Amino acid sequence: MTPRASRRDRILSRIVQLAFVGGVLALWYLATARWGVSHLLLPNPVRVWDQLKDVLASGEFVPDLRITLTELAVAFAISSISGVTLGYLLSRSQFLIRVFEPLLAGIYSIPIILFLPLYVLFFGLGPASKIALGATISFFPVVLATVAGFGYVERIYVVAARSMGASGFQLFRWVLLPAALPVILTGLRMGFIVALLSILGSETIASLAGLGHRIVHLAEAMETARMFAYIAFAVAIAALLNFVVTLIEARGRR
Amino acid sequence: MTQSVPEAVASKAGAARRAPPRAGLMRVVRRHPAIARLAVIAALLLLWEIAARDWVDPMFLSPPSRVIGSLGAVFRTPGVPAALQITFFELAVAFVISVAIGLALGLLLGLSRFSRASFMPIVLLLYGTPQITILPLFILYFGIGAASKIAFGVSHGIFPIIVIIAAGVQNLKPILLTSARSMGASRWQLFRWVIFPHMIPSFFAGMRLGMTGVLLGVLLAELYVSTAGIGYFTTLFTQNFDPTRLLGLISLLAVMAIVLNEIVRRAEVHFGRWRAE
Amino acid sequence: MASQDVAVRIRDVSHQFGEEGQAHYVRALADTSLDVARGELLCLIGPSGCGKSTLLNVIGGLMTPTAGTVHVGGTPVRGPLPREIAFVFQENALFPWSTVSENVVLGMMFQGVPRAERAERARNALAAVGLADFADHYPGQLSGGMRQRAALARALSLQTGILLMDEPFGALDEQTRMILGEDLSVLLSRTEKTIVFVTHSLGEAVFLADRVAVFSARPGTIKEVISVDEPHPRNPEFVTSEKFHALRNRLYTLLHDEIRKTVSAERGRDNAAAGEGAR
Repeated sequence: MTPRASRRDRILSRIVQLAFVGGVLALWYLATARWGVSHLLLPNPVRVWDQLKDVLASGEFVPDLRITLTELAVAFAISSISGVTLGYLLSRSQFLIRVFEPLLAGIYSIPIILFLPLYVLFFGLGPASKIALGATISFFPVVLATVAGFGYVERIYVVAARSMGASGFQLFRWVLLPAALPVILTGLRMGFIVALLSILGSETIASLAGLGHRIVHLAEAMETARMFAYIAFAVAIAALLNFVVTLIEARGRR
Repeated sequence: MTQSVPEAVASKAGAARRAPPRAGLMRVVRRHPAIARLAVIAALLLLWEIAARDWVDPMFLSPPSRVIGSLGAVFRTPGVPAALQITFFELAVAFVISVAIGLALGLLLGLSRFSRASFMPIVLLLYGTPQITILPLFILYFGIGAASKIAFGVSHGIFPIIVIIAAGVQNLKPILLTSARSMGASRWQLFRWVIFPHMIPSFFAGMRLGMTGVLLGVLLAELYVSTAGIGYFTTLFTQNFDPTRLLGLISLLAVMAIVLNEIVRRAEVHFGRWRAE
Repeated sequence: MASQDVAVRIRDVSHQFGEEGQAHYVRALADTSLDVARGELLCLIGPSGCGKSTLLNVIGGLMTPTAGTVHVGGTPVRGPLPREIAFVFQENALFPWSTVSENVVLGMMFQGVPRAERAERARNALAAVGLADFADHYPGQLSGGMRQRAALARALSLQTGILLMDEPFGALDEQTRMILGEDLSVLLSRTEKTIVFVTHSLGEAVFLADRVAVFSARPGTIKEVISVDEPHPRNPEFVTSEKFHALRNRLYTLLHDEIRKTVSAERGRDNAAAGEGAR
């Protein structure tokens, strides 16, 4: 395709995209303002915007956000430290890798959120159950990535370092760690995202506080406009956190 | 042929440090990691058994022996078998719909560069948003019955299918189309004999991820609110502090999830065989 | 050979991989003996799988042979000797996450060179191989030839008496090999190192070596040792001389039968495997 034709296509695609998004917004507006869809089902977008401004200005979101982020931080701290440690220990032996890796991958393949009622039974409705479940679920991508990172370092690097007299610690610090780091960082990023999703999920399903709970609360109170505002807020927070961790991962990979 | 020299060196270096393994049992275990895996699982079950009996309040945790023993009671709880059937039904319907829509949209985006450029960014954006935040909306729109579970399941299942199938169609090497055209293939023939077979492994890979998504969506919706599905009973058993039946029910669901996952995984392996990777 | 002149003494070395009866059982080396003189460049040449790389690893202490001994400077070899022996591998063994000069410095750190000396030695080594301007590049940014130069610099900076090179130019194209070979010859004429060099290339062996040890097909043993009586640094015109051709032809004759043996052995194995698979 000629450069001019492809440029034209790109502009056209962009127009179609914007038209699509604009069309959806327009439909939304018309549905509530002109076509009489109940505001309890679909709130007027203008009202949603007003509610969002109000939520942000009044700082009403702060306690819920703080709870959610605290749960996330603690859960991720637990899963990342235990995941990397256990992953490193397993990676030291090919036999251990062959025994445990399929086991861990197998457990991770089922929706572990299924065990939420058990965690609620055990830890109650408070932050502890969210942290525990979040740590459990996010443990798996971290440990699997760590095993993959340390366990599959190209043999030739280990051989070369050993031939030059590297000690065990030198081998770890200057060969294994830098070789494994990109993979581990990816695993940590995935663990972080998964922890966030599981915490939002458990807050939605069984909780007394936090962003997920706030959305449910507003739904039950039929305050649909404000609920939409909180949903937008939560999605924005998730997107921001995703962006930040992706940046950190990319930096770590140099 | 033989292992490469560096491999031999590294393993020899390791072997020189280890004491030679006891002949017989250890050698068998080393050659069959599955045995060690079973041993690990058995050890964990044992730990669970002891912990539930001696360390933890029976209100919070139940030992596996009791859980397995009372599976019958779980089944006899009025409404549970029906609930399991309803859940399975929700999963099946959601999966079929996801595959149908996902395949259609995936093919469309894969075959047309323009639609892909226009709409793939939107698809990816939606794929990346945390859908759990709009679960209450699904309930609001589709009610508390099976429809909302199916809808939420579809919502989780279609995106990986669309993305993977679109990618699969897209990475068809142009040389294959060129050579077929040079031999006089019609458009239909191109699709039927070049594009379609090329796409099959991606189709099954998409189905595998789609199944994971559907499982997640349906189960999340069930746990959130349920009047006749298994979510009702998990809530019931939780509120009644009945860890035995709760564990029993969750184990059954976990088994269901494993079986469904395994089916699609095997299908993928079987049908994707010609792919070297 | 007088014992002070012997850098490496190899006696009756045999090596096998795996046990008899196992699928991957291989007798790589059989009763190999050789003396490597101090300061000479000895080439090991032979058909694929004849055990020359295995012998190199045994000399360097990276492998323990199933039988036989190797003595370096009088002491028996039981493991890597980083202060006496440095390696250049065929596979790229430069750490991709470190720059060229960091790679060289790391090697010295592993060996135990005091921190104060490392930077200077690294600079000198890189200058010696012509990579002074690329010190801060990553291996991924360099061509294959430059990567092997960097690997050589790392080995040189360790200032060992012995250098073991396992087909270091194997992955490079013909022209790069020629240039690197000439540069290596110049470099070596300035040092006192003992070098054992594994190669497939007949021309390379004759051009670089003081002596060439020709291996038989597997299980490998030394068939003959040929001397190349030509001072270092070797003149590039040496390659076109009568002497060169005569030596090269001799190597060819010695090797041709061994190579044929290796190929038919491999074909026989492949046929057997295919036959079993068909059943």
